[in-house]
Amino acid sequence: MTALSLLLEGVHCRYGRHSAVHSADLDVPAGLRVALIGTNGSGKSTLLRAVLGFQPVSDGVVEVGGERAATAAQWRKRRGEVAWIPQLRSTGRFPLLLGELLDSSGDGEAAREAAARLGLAGMESRGVHTLSGGQAQRAWLARAVGAVAAGAGMLLADEPTAALDFAGQEEAAAVLTGLPVTLLVATHDRAVADACDRVVEMAAGRLRDVA
Amino acid sequence: MIAELLALVPVQRAGFGLLLGAVALPPVGVLIVGLDIYPVRFAIMHVALLGSAIGLLTGTDPLLWALVLCALAGGGLAPFATTSAGLSGAMGLLMSLAIAVALLVLSISGVNANGAFELLWGSILSTRPADLVVLGVLAVVIPALFWWRRRDLSLLLHDRELAACSGVRTGPLTAALLVVIAVSIAGAIKLTGALLVDALTLLPALAARRIGRGLTGMVVASIGIGLVVAVAGLLLALALDQPPGPVLVLLAGVIALLAQLLPMRRT
Repeated sequence: MTALSLLLEGVHCRYGRHSAVHSADLDVPAGLRVALIGTNGSGKSTLLRAVLGFQPVSDGVVEVGGERAATAAQWRKRRGEVAWIPQLRSTGRFPLLLGELLDSSGDGEAAREAAARLGLAGMESRGVHTLSGGQAQRAWLARAVGAVAAGAGMLLADEPTAALDFAGQEEAAAVLTGLPVTLLVATHDRAVADACDRVVEMAAGRLRDVA
Repeated sequence: MIAELLALVPVQRAGFGLLLGAVALPPVGVLIVGLDIYPVRFAIMHVALLGSAIGLLTGTDPLLWALVLCALAGGGLAPFATTSAGLSGAMGLLMSLAIAVALLVLSISGVNANGAFELLWGSILSTRPADLVVLGVLAVVIPALFWWRRRDLSLLLHDRELAACSGVRTGPLTAALLVVIAVSIAGAIKLTGALLVDALTLLPALAARRIGRGLTGMVVASIGIGLVVAVAGLLLALALDQPPGPVLVLLAGVIALLAQLLPMRRT
């Protein structure tokens, strides 16, 4: 699949009465790499999750590749087109093997090759919950490589290098920005932001260009 | 003495029912653990009680009503399953409403409530061929479902969002799982009683969690533990001349406790 464009127009997201994203506008042409920076709690994760339908949008427009999603089938299609690296969290309620995580990308072979390059060779039969934070982030990065190989045209990544050491951050930044897709990455990592074409800041739920 | 008891048809039916239950029910416990919906057992027990009350009122098979109502309740819970908190609240509401309606039905019908409340204690030696048919269907369908959808189930039980990003139809699959859980609990109540239904559902799953590797390993381990509990529990109950339900629960509980002493697998 070719890279996909992303369009956000007047997007609002709420948690009850609290407005987390307030009238966010963003136009990302296909293939552009955008770093989304901002303080903790500024709404970066909420915005990324809204693109995937994991966070309801109370108002506004979200288009990926010029298409909106409303029905279950449309959301399923979008989630197949958009690779996703979630923010690092306690990994799941139930044991999942690393090999199963990599295979869930849609192209297990590509994901396993990427995992090996990222230092996870031979760990496929280990539970994801037994990996360190840095290893887990490398695993999700490898899964994203597999998802792109399987046809995703966009990658959304939520602080994908937060648990990595300095060398790992540079390595991850190179992998992220080297993928032939549109990239929107929420990050506090200078190496990742410097490798992107455009930097957008989110503050109090609003977006503005900074570079 | 045990040999003589085993020659009796009711005891043979009970043993056969327990074996079928040991194959069908522990994987359901794995689902309950995986979805983190432990209170679902109590909610479904109350719905089964309501089904039993309707059966008594109408003079039809209480088990049939219990199965149908539990299936509907399981499906009805599905829309609330997008969050753990939503499901917990819905189960609490369901439990309260079901027992309230059941008591009203019993009061209005004027029938003896003891028949309905027998479900709470179970009556393993009165297992009927119809009960065996229900358990037999569950013993085939549930392991088959796990094998058929093992990839989707592994992802869904681990993380709903990961599953959604991996092409899993999380909504329909969750609904199907809740229906399976509800029907299985209703089908299991006859064996151990509603109050002791954990013996063949949750306790083997909790033990298997320490032993199994990934979802498939846990399901296989839970069935193995369930079979040990069923066979050893029934023989022990016959040898001690005690009701099988409590003996099964105690045995399963001891195994679950012993499993906690094992070091957690790296996987």
